[in-house]
Amino acid sequence: MTLDQTRDLLTDTLNLGEAGKHLTAESPLLGALPELDSMAVVSLIAAMEDRFGIVIDDDDISASTFETLGSLAAFVEQKSVQ
Amino acid sequence: MIPASSPRAENFFLPAAPGQRYCLYHPAAGVPKAALLYVAPFGEEMNRTRRAAALQARALAAQGVAVLQIDLYGSGDSDGEFGDASWQTWKQDLALAHAWLAAKTGRAVGLWGVRLGALLALDYASNAALPVARFVFWQPVLRGAVYLNQLLRLRLAGEMLAGGGAVDSRQLRAALREQAQEIGGYDVAPAMADAIESLDAGKLAAPDAPVHWFEVVADAERPAPPPALQLADSWRARGAQVALQAVPDQPCWATPEIAECPQLRAATTAAIAEVLQAIGAGAARTAAKAEARDA
Repeated sequence: MTLDQTRDLLTDTLNLGEAGKHLTAESPLLGALPELDSMAVVSLIAAMEDRFGIVIDDDDISASTFETLGSLAAFVEQKSVQ
Repeated sequence: MIPASSPRAENFFLPAAPGQRYCLYHPAAGVPKAALLYVAPFGEEMNRTRRAAALQARALAAQGVAVLQIDLYGSGDSDGEFGDASWQTWKQDLALAHAWLAAKTGRAVGLWGVRLGALLALDYASNAALPVARFVFWQPVLRGAVYLNQLLRLRLAGEMLAGGGAVDSRQLRAALREQAQEIGGYDVAPAMADAIESLDAGKLAAPDAPVHWFEVVADAERPAPPPALQLADSWRARGAQVALQAVPDQPCWATPEIAECPQLRAATTAAIAEVLQAIGAGAARTAAKAEARDA
């Protein structure tokens, strides 16, 4: 559920189109998606805060959060229960 | 579609202090019915918005609205370094451009601000020497402090992408009080950061000219974000005329690929068309009265 929502949000924010639909939990994001530049990261954070109603700290802007689609979805899930 | 009949834009340098500013003037097709001064977003957002803004300017010009785009001090092809720019210099640049456009067209000038440019336009308008006819806002930054935090995060995200990332935004904010910091490829000076941080649209005077406010949303079901709705209500309660519209489109100022924002352009063009109709009807009534009087 969260994986699908995270995939949709990522696809919308980075404008990935069809390519976004094929992303799985194991798909690498950092260093693999040319669209994921620093402005995209900031837009993505703002979009996650907006759509999932979570609060993201500076410490969360780390490689481990954005490593794969799965790690990003897990992060959203963890923030949502807090 | 941008009509082919749109007259070609003219570029020139406007004398300013210090140096001169690069300007792009889109003359109205026919006699100008209205005039708009474009106030661009900040830093990289300005670059990414360039294409969508140019298309919008041409669409407005074809409709009879003269549009002036100015590269503020330290940006684009204007004199100065971005890192030396001050909020005050930018407001002086706007005053010069405002006066130029009013003299050129003989129309009261409206301000079309995008993102931080909208906040700059509002702040400028609050004590501008010349009247402001209307405001057109694209996703205005409402609280400078929130925006500055996003700028700091931009730097953190850049460091994360580069494989580093040992600082947090508090440390970065402290460093930014000491000296200019590079954020997303642009030097931001301490005074500029302080000026941005101190501004809050909700604390400025409510706009005393009609506001056409557009928020880009992900899909048609979504309303404008709560802070936008709240400020629009607060302005209305203080007597301002505000039309806030949520438009499903790409946020061209942030997208990695250049976005042309066709929906945003269509909505903006339609809103201005209504304004022009009202101006036309007003002019026709005045003419009819004059005719009746002369008869």
